[in-house]
Amino acid sequence: MSPQDPLPKEVLARIGVEKTRRYEVTARDVRRFAQAIGAPDPAVSSNGSLVAPALFCQVFMFEDVPAEELPADGSPNELDVPVPARRTVGGGSDFEVLGLVHSGDVMTVRSKLKDVITKEGKSGTLYLVVVETSFNNQLGEPVARETATYVKRT
Amino acid sequence: MTQVPEARAFELRVTPTRTQLFTFGAITWNRHKIHFDRAHAEAEGFSDVVVQRGLLGNFLARAVASWAGPNGRLERLQWKVNQSAFPDHELRCQGEVTKVSEETGTSIIDCALRILDPEGAHVASGEARVRFR
Repeated sequence: MSPQDPLPKEVLARIGVEKTRRYEVTARDVRRFAQAIGAPDPAVSSNGSLVAPALFCQVFMFEDVPAEELPADGSPNELDVPVPARRTVGGGSDFEVLGLVHSGDVMTVRSKLKDVITKEGKSGTLYLVVVETSFNNQLGEPVARETATYVKRT
Repeated sequence: MTQVPEARAFELRVTPTRTQLFTFGAITWNRHKIHFDRAHAEAEGFSDVVVQRGLLGNFLARAVASWAGPNGRLERLQWKVNQSAFPDHELRCQGEVTKVSEETGTSIIDCALRILDPEGAHVASGEARVRFR
């Protein structure tokens, strides 16, 4: 398959299909995320809730499916598009921080495959898998949106 | 008049560890083997397990937050991974102010960002927008 070839219909059928899930933001999640990124202890707001680091919503980026439902390399389901490539790496991100996230919030996460772009790389055809994820709190307010790009190659 | 940092450039040095990659993978529920299984990573052509794209973004966010202080709020962070980074190698996360603008009583500062590995190679490049109140 070359960048000039059209994408297989199985790939096109997945583009734009949205999945929705809901999660509670726990104080433990906020503390563990801060520790994982090497940030200081999260700030405590006036009502006692913890204020999450700016990119905290990454915690909810990937669906919590059982390991046996993941591709063989363990890469997230969201990137499992049927293109002739077996290796995946993270390519980049556009992360918009639209509001603060606190422990106790309930997050609605909407995720979809936005696009698959083919490109010629040094070692053959690359497939740029673009995933868009939005995060709204329990009041319906948007708090974050990320467009992440992953690179799949043979 | 909003309080903005005097420094036009900033840097945060971090050395990701295997434990950090593991804990970041766990909290983000990212079970991609290249991030924790060295044999698998080597089979895919890497020299070691690979620092996650998301963790690199958080290093940049931390660099911006350290520079901006309590009056600054990150509104947008864009980054592109140019080459893989590996644990136990120091990364220099650098930023430089590229534009300062005013909007209804707040200051908005745009910064160019990059992450350099110990050899000076560009691991990632990006941009940030920070609003100061």
